[in-house]
Amino acid sequence: MKLARNQLTLNGKTVSFTDGETILTLANRMGVHIPTLCHDPRLDPVGACRMCLVEVTGFNRLVPACTQKATPGMEVITENARITRHRQTLLALYMTDHPQDRNAVEKGAPNQLLDLAEQYQAPLNWGRMLPIRSARDDDRNPYILFNADLCISCARCVRYCAEVERVSAITLANRGASTTVATADNASLLDTSCEMCGGCIDVCPTGAMTEKMPLTRNHKPERELRKVRTTCNYCGVGCQIDLNVDDIANDGRGMVVKITSPPPGTTVNDGNLCVKGRFAYDFIHHPDRLTQPLVCNENGELQPTTWDDALEKAVNGLQAVAKRYGADALGFVSSSRCTVEENYLMQKLARAVFHTNNVHQCAAT
Amino acid sequence: MNHIKSDVPELIQQQGGLKPDVSKQVSRHTGVAEADVYGVGSFFHLLSRSDKKLRVCTGLSCQMAGADKVLQAALDAGLPVEPCSCLAACDQPTAVLRDREVIPGVQVEEIKQTGGDWTKLKQEMSPGGKGWLGHIGPSVENDGDLAINLAGAPDWSGTALRMALTRSANHIIAIIKSSELQGRGGAGFPAHIKWQAVQSQSEPERYVVLNADEGEPGTFKDRELLMRRPDRIVEGLAIAAHAVGAKDVFLYLRGEFAYPKKSIELAIQQFRQRGLLADLRFHSHSGQGAYICGEETALLEALEGKRGMPRLKPPFPVEVGLWGKPTLIHNVETIACVPEIIKRGGDWFKNLGRTAAGTKLYCISGHVQKPGTYELPLGITLDELVESAGGYIGKLKAFCPGGASSGFLPADKRNIALDFQALAAVGSMLGSAGVIVLNDTVDMKWAVGQQLRFFEDESCGQCAPCRIGTRYLREAVNAELNGSATMHSPNLKFAEDVAWQMNEASICGLGQTASLALTSAMTYFPEDFQ
Ligand SMILES: Cc1cc2nc3c(=O)[nH]c(=O)nc-3n(C[C@H](O)[C@H](O)[C@H](O)COP(=O)(O)O)c2cc1C
Ligand code: SF4
Ligand code: SF4
Ligand code: SF4
Ligand code: FES
Repeated sequence: MKLARNQLTLNGKTVSFTDGETILTLANRMGVHIPTLCHDPRLDPVGACRMCLVEVTGFNRLVPACTQKATPGMEVITENARITRHRQTLLALYMTDHPQDRNAVEKGAPNQLLDLAEQYQAPLNWGRMLPIRSARDDDRNPYILFNADLCISCARCVRYCAEVERVSAITLANRGASTTVATADNASLLDTSCEMCGGCIDVCPTGAMTEKMPLTRNHKPERELRKVRTTCNYCGVGCQIDLNVDDIANDGRGMVVKITSPPPGTTVNDGNLCVKGRFAYDFIHHPDRLTQPLVCNENGELQPTTWDDALEKAVNGLQAVAKRYGADALGFVSSSRCTVEENYLMQKLARAVFHTNNVHQCAAT
Repeated sequence: MNHIKSDVPELIQQQGGLKPDVSKQVSRHTGVAEADVYGVGSFFHLLSRSDKKLRVCTGLSCQMAGADKVLQAALDAGLPVEPCSCLAACDQPTAVLRDREVIPGVQVEEIKQTGGDWTKLKQEMSPGGKGWLGHIGPSVENDGDLAINLAGAPDWSGTALRMALTRSANHIIAIIKSSELQGRGGAGFPAHIKWQAVQSQSEPERYVVLNADEGEPGTFKDRELLMRRPDRIVEGLAIAAHAVGAKDVFLYLRGEFAYPKKSIELAIQQFRQRGLLADLRFHSHSGQGAYICGEETALLEALEGKRGMPRLKPPFPVEVGLWGKPTLIHNVETIACVPEIIKRGGDWFKNLGRTAAGTKLYCISGHVQKPGTYELPLGITLDELVESAGGYIGKLKAFCPGGASSGFLPADKRNIALDFQALAAVGSMLGSAGVIVLNDTVDMKWAVGQQLRFFEDESCGQCAPCRIGTRYLREAVNAELNGSATMHSPNLKFAEDVAWQMNEASICGLGQTASLALTSAMTYFPEDFQ
């Protein structure tokens, strides 16, 4: 059979690839599952975890699907006895250097290594080695915990920090079996260039890089929480976030116990967040938070009221000023925490309804 | 050169190693992120453990000669000491590293005499360093049938270089091709293919790199060559640079090669004074204590100032090398063969060998009378080599034909030609031709443990099969040695699967060959594993 310029065979089926596409992206697109650990679509592939190795005719060695570009006429095989043996023995080896008890391991995020070991029925009887990677247990930063025992040295966190966040606050340190993730001089993240974006947590496949607060507060593991997709209200970018809700907490009223980012490639923010969006969620259940409209009574004291009443009072007040002093006596200031759409509506209100150009937003200077 | 050279490892060295705040200072100086500086410093043992002023070699050959006792004596004397990987002085055990100077042949008594003052160890060794020269063979100058001729006086006339400069690149490459010169760094890859590949790249900026990181346990020929015939190396480099169109030559010498580095730098001056190197630029770099940087792509990373983690191949350095430019990388010995090939022709060189082209520097250590470096026709047998080295000590039990990576062969394989092909056919390799001889006093399980510890210490840690596998196998063997194996500890029962995984899935040659020491010993010496 003659293949076109942009075709190859994947498990015997002829498929078309786009220029520059890797075997992994092609396979994913075709619904063929290839397991990975060090891969993240936001990062340059490095082929280090060895999980995604497949067979390509003409190559003696197994080939990393995450780095290997599709080329015309290539014959790719993702399932056979050799690949099964590879996946099982690799996972078995990983598991000699990793805790195996899911309850102990998954206090926070789900652990993809355990998932893969289960999925491929890796032997778990090869014995265990003592953990020797160093951590930074005394790091006083409030958000990020590095549990070195769970680290598989995939360097996703390090590469994310360098390639996406572009601050290189963390590095692979030491070498060989002692390879770990460190900061310069093992300083607290607070004393580095770290921006507390938490991206290192998001990319970590095992939960080695994890969020402190849900752990210290003894919240349920992420697997048992319900995810509610919403828009972050800290700024106008419109990042999508997933509220992780414990439905039973808070006397059955439910509670947001942590925030995670949606998978990369699915939302406008591509799985990225900033320190506020990811970690500053305590305001949600804060007792000081305004939860109903307030209007001043005759004594100048704020009193709860209905939305209808509050809006009516606002409309009346604005119209009264405009009538007495002219439209330009009014000024409208909106917030950078509003979305673009909300800011648009604010200027519409100023210009089209009240006929003034006096409109501003706190981040527009 | 149109890039900024990154000197991160050198700058850390100048600051006395990776001490607190050094990352910050080097970062300020270079613009490289602090964390990245720290990552580099912590990778290299000579930088990360700068407080260790003495290091005792625990390579197999030194161990067989009692390195353990030397180490223990140093610990007892309260010296700032730690064990280290092979120091390329296996012919003169026990080797000790003081700062960055190798002191060969150290005895327990000498350690005791220091009285705890590390600077006092064999003071007469520095400077000079001649004490490091080992036995060579042939030991007298011989011009007829040797490509290297270690005993010969350095030749600064540049005859071969002058001849090469009058020839076209294609002509030179044709001569190299006809010589059938194979790389002497380990893989035995035909040299001319790499020269041709670099020469024919469309990118005009190309580099030549000399791999003098010699760290394979049992190997010390490059040291001998650098000390005795640096003329051959510099002339070979200049010829290679001319042939592939490079203006910059990078020398990467292991950090422990302080004397060899001086020797080759002097040789460059010698040729320069004679106006022979024209506009060729030489840049010499010291390694910082990492065997893996002998792997060519890890070496390139280290030259670029990064952690020495091998790159994925392809692309190969001939296409994407140093700073992404086409790069010709050769072992010291490969390059040193070039001048005589140019002078005397490809056929001459080819016919020097017995089963493959050329003469070869064989390093031999362990249980033989005169460990050393012997230049012999490629393809001689172990017995012939040992005869040059004065004969066996005791009864031959096993040998490594090409360093730790080549595993062990039993005495009955003593008649195999020590060449790339024949050894590959029995699942071993010629590698760096670091031959280690073990007599029947050696327990193979113990010997395997030495090799596995080396690989575990020197794994870069990038890929799981090697990072975890080397440690697993070492712990499994140790557990057997101490009788401490349990259901829950690494176990030799699984060695075959672990080895399979390491061979199949490791990124580079270290992980791909590390298990061979164990699997070959288990095959050939089952009685030692009962
Ligand atoms: C783990 C490892 C260590 C190596 N160490 C060295 C070394 O110390 N010196 C060397 O010349 N080649 C070494 N090599 C081989 C190099 O990768 C490369 O093949 C060689 O430098 C090419 O030169 P050649 O063609 O002259 O042999 C090593 C390879 C591996 C996988
Ligand atoms: S939180 Fe962001 S900036 Fe800080 S280490 Fe993690 S990825 Fe880097
Ligand atoms: S902390 Fe997580 S992401 Fe970072 S190297 Fe370890 S396993 Fe990978
Ligand atoms: S095989 Fe070992 S030395 Fe080579 S890249 Fe992998 S971890 Fe590093
Ligand atoms: S120098 Fe000691 S074994 Fe090589």
